[in-house]
Amino acid sequence: MPDPREEKPRDSSLRSAGLLLAIPTLLIVSPLVGFFLGSVVDRWLKCSPWGVLLGLVLGFVAAGRETYLIYRRYLAEEERSRRR
Amino acid sequence: MGLEFLARVRRTTLWVGALAAIVGMTYSGFAAGGGLAAGAVWSLVNLFLVERLVVALTGSDRGTPAAARGAALALAGMLGLFAAGAFLLMALPAEPLLVGFGFPFGVMLLKACSTLLLESAAWRRFTASRWQVALAVALLIAATWAIAERSVAASGGAVAAGPSGAAHGDAAHADAAHGDAGEHGASSKPTMFPNFLGVVIEANHGKPWADALHHVEPVVFSLFVALLLSGIAIAANRRRALRPGRFQAGVELVVQGLFDFVASVLGEKHARRYLPFLGSLFLYILAMNWIGFVPGFHAATANINITAGLALCTFLFVQFTGMRELGFGGWVDHMAGSPRSAIEWGLVPIMLPIHIIGELAKPLSLACRLFGNIFGEDMLLVGFASLGIMMLGFIPNVPVGIPLQLPFLFFCLLTSTLQALVFTTLSTVYLLLMLPHDDHGHEGEAHPAH
Repeated sequence: MPDPREEKPRDSSLRSAGLLLAIPTLLIVSPLVGFFLGSVVDRWLKCSPWGVLLGLVLGFVAAGRETYLIYRRYLAEEERSRRR
Repeated sequence: MGLEFLARVRRTTLWVGALAAIVGMTYSGFAAGGGLAAGAVWSLVNLFLVERLVVALTGSDRGTPAAARGAALALAGMLGLFAAGAFLLMALPAEPLLVGFGFPFGVMLLKACSTLLLESAAWRRFTASRWQVALAVALLIAATWAIAERSVAASGGAVAAGPSGAAHGDAAHADAAHGDAGEHGASSKPTMFPNFLGVVIEANHGKPWADALHHVEPVVFSLFVALLLSGIAIAANRRRALRPGRFQAGVELVVQGLFDFVASVLGEKHARRYLPFLGSLFLYILAMNWIGFVPGFHAATANINITAGLALCTFLFVQFTGMRELGFGGWVDHMAGSPRSAIEWGLVPIMLPIHIIGELAKPLSLACRLFGNIFGEDMLLVGFASLGIMMLGFIPNVPVGIPLQLPFLFFCLLTSTLQALVFTTLSTVYLLLMLPHDDHGHEGEAHPAH
């Protein structure tokens, strides 16, 4: 009989689904955040449009990086649950 | 006719009083509707106290100290009631108060007449033929329509010249729905279904407290939901039993479901720690979404300020959790991209803003998604309800419409639940991404958080 104090093995499909759910929104919103921060820098340093351009580039890079990290985590979770 | 009959009269009067108050507020203003409601409530309380007094004086336990106490309380209550009545007469117009006062007696009379009628032989003979009944109902509807139309025409458009802001606001809404949409729609912002607070604000338009209340309208509704959920939680914890009753069992079912959900993402060890925040988040958002479907209430999550507040709380909680689990140095290392080689250290000035942008994108997406969906649902329901009213706009002076929004109510109920689930799932995932890899309830070597 299983010991109730031991952790139950949990289905990780919800974790995987949650990880993948985060990707599309980060892809869209990160460039927007970069654009907004870039426009703030432009207004502050009066260097339009370079602040916005830099912010957009950093936003796209952030989106790609977060997507890569989340997908790497998702693959690690899938591997772990397959081994179990 | 016993006490059970009086209980039925009370229930019916509550419904009649509520409907009459809504119609009165719509067509004659807040004061008239309020007077109807207050008069009905006053009369019901009076009836209840009289019932208690009569039971105490004539019941089977008359003469006992308990009965004497009951009678004294009833008399004291009546004194307080008369004082309240005097205040109501000063604050509200007398005619609606008197009409409201008469509601229970009208209901009693109608119930008594209907009981006599329904048990009579003549009624049984009349209802033996369905065609006879259908013809009688049709004639009754036609006669009511003709009388109503004549009385509205005789009152000379009293609806359009309503004295208070509430009648004006709702008549303007009805006018927009009856085909003046081009004229009204071009100049006014999108309308929502009216709610209790909005009616009060419209009735007191221009007063400083009403203008201030208008600005915090969503906060009031969110606070109401918070108090409601807190009350349920306190009530559930008050008399906990090893063998739970239905209420405790229901609450335990909800909590267990939330625990299973959080544990399937974070693992059981972290689920125990973070369930209070994540579970409360889900229930709070769900309750705020659903309360928008209750007539007279408004979904606070249809306002960007509320969803932004929720997203900000989640963001700060995730960052605080990161600092606590990783230490402040570990958190800064995580934000800088965990540099280990010289090249990675060189990239820190670039990686740091990139990671900051990635972290800021999370609460922004949470806030905008929830706001957009709930606001869109409200607009959808308002649009179809207005369409249903416009479709019957050819019938004069009839403030009803085809409920075209009804099928969409079920769809919106589903999407409201889904949006609460999505918000909570993503918050849980953002927490998971901040926690160290080795600590989510699985065996394996430890990995620092990326």
